[in-house]
Formats: sequence, C-alpha cells, structure tokens
Amino acid sequence: MSETTVSARPRRGRVSSRAWGVASGLAAAATPLILLTILVVLAIFAWRSVVWNGLGFFTSTKWNLGNLYGGSLVVRHGIAAPQGAEYGMLVFVTGTLLSSAIAIVLAVPVGIGVAVALTSFSPRGLATVVSFFVELLAGVPSVVFGLWGFTVLVPWIGATVGPGMSKVLGFIPFFGGQAQTGLGLLASGIVLAVMIVPIITAVSRDALAKVPRELLEQGRALGLTEWEIVRDLSLPVARPAVIGAVILGLGRALGETMAVLMVSGSAVNSLPHNLYSPISTMASTIAAQLDSAMTDATGMAVHALAELAVVLFLITVLVNLLVKRIVRTLEQSPVLLWAERETE
Amino acid sequence: MIREEDATGREHRDPGIVSLPEEPVDEPRANRAMFVLDGFDLYFGRAHILKGITLEIPSNQVTAIIGPSGCGKSSLLRSLNRMNDRVPGMRVEGKVLFEGDDVYGQSVDPVTLRRRVGMVFQRPTPFPMSIFDNVAYGPRLHGLAKRSELDRVVESSLRDAGLWDVVKDTLRKPATALSGGEQQRLCIARTLAVDPEVILLDEPTSALDPSATTRIEELLQRLAERYTIVIVTHNMQQAARVSEDTAFLLSGELVEFGPTDKIFRAPDDRRTEDYVTGRFG
Repeated sequence: MSETTVSARPRRGRVSSRAWGVASGLAAAATPLILLTILVVLAIFAWRSVVWNGLGFFTSTKWNLGNLYGGSLVVRHGIAAPQGAEYGMLVFVTGTLLSSAIAIVLAVPVGIGVAVALTSFSPRGLATVVSFFVELLAGVPSVVFGLWGFTVLVPWIGATVGPGMSKVLGFIPFFGGQAQTGLGLLASGIVLAVMIVPIITAVSRDALAKVPRELLEQGRALGLTEWEIVRDLSLPVARPAVIGAVILGLGRALGETMAVLMVSGSAVNSLPHNLYSPISTMASTIAAQLDSAMTDATGMAVHALAELAVVLFLITVLVNLLVKRIVRTLEQSPVLLWAERETE
Repeated sequence: MIREEDATGREHRDPGIVSLPEEPVDEPRANRAMFVLDGFDLYFGRAHILKGITLEIPSNQVTAIIGPSGCGKSSLLRSLNRMNDRVPGMRVEGKVLFEGDDVYGQSVDPVTLRRRVGMVFQRPTPFPMSIFDNVAYGPRLHGLAKRSELDRVVESSLRDAGLWDVVKDTLRKPATALSGGEQQRLCIARTLAVDPEVILLDEPTSALDPSATTRIEELLQRLAERYTIVIVTHNMQQAARVSEDTAFLLSGELVEFGPTDKIFRAPDDRRTEDYVTGRFG
C-alpha cells in the first residue's frame, strides 16, 4: 500500500489484522460447510429412495433388496425398483440406539471412574503407566476390537454370560431368553463399551487434571475427604468437559461400523426381543449391504442406503443436541443436587 | 462501617451446631498456647525446609510469620494443619502440639484436625456453587441439614466476614460472580462456618487491591477476639498493622519471635533488623 509510508502505524496493523480475520473466518466456516455439503449431497442422492418409499421407510421393519437378477420392476411416482424390494429402517435404528445405549451405560461409570482414580487416588508412577495404556487402547483399530469380540466375547456370552444372566436376572424384561450363539445386542454393546471407555477416560482425565490445585487444597483445608473433594469440587468443575467426553464416546458408538458388524449377528427383518437377539446397526448395514446393492440395476438399493446414512447423520446430531439439552436443564441451578436434600 | 456488623456476631450461633460450650462473648478467653512447636524439622525429600523450630503460638490473637521468599514461612503454616502431607518425601522430626495433642501423632486424623484448624489461601477459591452453598457446605458435611439453622449459620458467618450486606440479596448466585476481595471474604466466611478454633492465612491479601486488603485486615483484628489467627505475609507493614506477635524466618530457621512492636522497633537479632528495615528480602 502506498499510503503506508505516510502513516504506517495504524494502517498496517489494520490490513494484516483484517486479513487474519478473513482467513480465520473462512477456516471457522469450513467445518459447518463441509458438514452441510455432505448432508446435502447425501440427501440429493437419497431423494429417489425418499420418494419411492415415502413414510414406509421409517415405519417398516422389513429390508429386502428384491430380485436383483432382472425380472419385472415396481414403479412408483415414476421411479423404478426391483420386484420384491422393501426398504424399512426400523430394525437398524433400533439396533443402533440400543447397542449405543448399552455401551454408554457400561462405559460412562467405568470411564469416569478410571479417570477419577488416575487423577485423585493413584500414585503418580502408576497413573502415568495406566494413562499410557488408556491412550494406546483409544488408538486400536476397531476391527481388532471386532475380532476380539468375535473370538472371545461372543462364545463367552453364548456359553456362560448369556445363560447365567438369563437365569439370575431373567425376571427383568429383556434379560430373559435364549442366548443362542452369543452374537447380538449384548455383544455389540460390550464391544462398543470397550471401544469408548478409553475415549471417555482420556478426555475426562485431562479435564480433571486441569481443576485448579488451589481449589482442591482449599477443600482439603476445610477438612474434606478425598472422595468429598472429587464429588463436590473436581467433578462439578470438570463437568462440561466430562459431558463432552461422553458425547464424544456416544458419537463413536452410534457410528461404529466394523466392530459391530463382526459381533452383531446381522439381523434383518426382526426387532431384538431380548439382550441376546441378533441386531444390525445402521452403519454396519450400510457397509455390509453396499456390495450387493451395487448390483441393483435400478440403483434403488444404493439410494435406500444413502437415505439410511442421512437418517444416521440426523440421529447423531439429534442425540448430541438432546444430551446437551438435558445437561443444560440439569445445570439450571448452580446448587449441587445432593445439597438440596434439606429438611425443613 | 464494618464495625457496626460487630453487634451481630457469634452469639446468634446455635450452640447445638458448634462443639464448644457456650461462653460469654464479651469476655475474651485468656491467652494460652494454642500451638507449641518443639524442635520441629520438616524435610521434603532431601531438602531441609524447616530447622529446629521452637515457638508457642498464643490463642486469641494474630500471630504473623514473616520472612523472604523461600524461607519456609508457608511450609511452617501448612505444617500446623498437615497440609504438607501430600508433598512427596515429606518427613518431620520434633513436635507440633495443638492444644496438647501431637499433630503428627498416630491418633490424629488430618481431616478432623483441619476442621478445627481452618485455612485461607493466597488466591480466593470459591467452590463451584452458589454463595449460600459455599458457606453452608462445611456445616452440611457436619450433618447440619435443618434449613433454618443453616440459614442462621450462613448469615452469621457472612456477617462475621463483613460480607452479609453485599450478598444478602444474591445468595443463590454463583460465588464466582463476586469480586476478588469479596471472594476472599467469602472464603473466610466458609472457614468460619465450620467453627474452627484457629484460622491460618497464607498471604490472604496478596491478590487483592489496597481497599480490599484494608477490609481483610480490619476483619482479622475483629476475628482475633474469638479465634486464634496465624498469618503468613510478605508485606511487613501488614504484619506490623495486624499482629501482636511476629515470627521472623530465614532459610528455614526461626531467627526471632516476639511482640510485633519489638520485632519492628528493637529486634535482638541483626538479621531481623536488616530484614524489617528493608536491607534485604
């Protein structure tokens, strides 16, 4: 700029700071833009399935690619699909939500518990070693978890855990019934739990480690036990990040494909009726069916899988928002929940 | 302005909550030795932090501990309520007696000890709760659950800390909304709420502005009528203003201990004189 020689001081700073503002603005906009682009492209690709299936996609438990070896076509609204084709997502949505729910129920207490143990109750040397293994575990490829699930966990559930739980806890709905092969809902939930524990632990531990030392000292000086310090000081202060850790783990569980595919039993056309029933998740179905779907000359099978992907995407976003909403409601009052129990 | 809050003090406290027997408020207890240190040594690993400290801290007055950075004054303070316990390699020799009990003896539970010997830190540390809950927290842990009694304890503690008029309408707001000086007074109120016998303060005003500092100092002098107060400060004027006795520490050794007037006007030891006249430190 020519004027910069005249009044260099304010000009220069303004230009470079504006350039910086634009650049960082673009970078910030990139994330939502990428997300939006993927969603829009997927939705456009899925459109033929949306029109052909209508509401039936959301309410039907039947999934059948139809006769892919020629034969007659079924035409609705000017769009063709193979004879006998049916596309209903209900089995997969149920499988996804239930297996993730089991994973969260198992992994949250363990994950946060380990994080608390590492930050407050273990000697520094031990904490370092365990933390190292936690991080290692977080980096293990999911197919390895799947293989472990298939070779170790599934036979164990089929032979021991399933029958045992069925016998002891069978009076609770969903706990009774035949364990069969061991492939199914419980195995999927446990494998997912093992996968997300290290995520929840690692993020929560970092958050707990950042709680100001003075605060903990103050707690000790007031005569609090270590447990009271964790419950009333560390965890409340770290709560937003710990919730973030849980959401991160939940996102991973909802979208996990390969490990679940290997232990789920790949159910189609039937909803799970107990913990040991075979299931399918949305993500694992997309992966498992894509190959045969490609042979559908009408292309409808792939469009239907794309619609499944859009719904999975939306469910993931929705669950995230829901969790945050619940948390916000819980946090309306800064008062500790336990402290509210007062007698008049 | 602060003085008028004097009128409503501890006499409102329910005697059922506090473990002490009721006693006339206007008559201060006679000074006796609250803490007795006898040849007390403190080590952190191989570092010899405190060397053969022998002194008596009288009750119901302000005792100041002064000395240059790193002289061990904070470590000395923290030895009185066993806050050094978690320092790796911590080891003690000699004795610290609190009302005759060996603080480092087998039978003493640090958690119980700390409920009798409260502590206020350099940086105000409000808990992640409302103002009310910050103060009510300690009493609740002690099993006080009756709403009316909690209200009374919270009010009297906040009055004693000179904060009641500021916060009485915002008790349900998060404590972090208060200013630094107010937060520090809240921390004092929180300490008072569990009715300790001793209050230890570790440079309580070093993060505060001058007017907030003045209010805390006035507060300490009032509280000394009912509590034993030990304050660590790097500010010698502060020690001169608030304390009756002063201990001067240098490199882990107790150089001199005596009436504050004497320490600042006519110290026995040359090193004390050099320090209080600003020749080093």
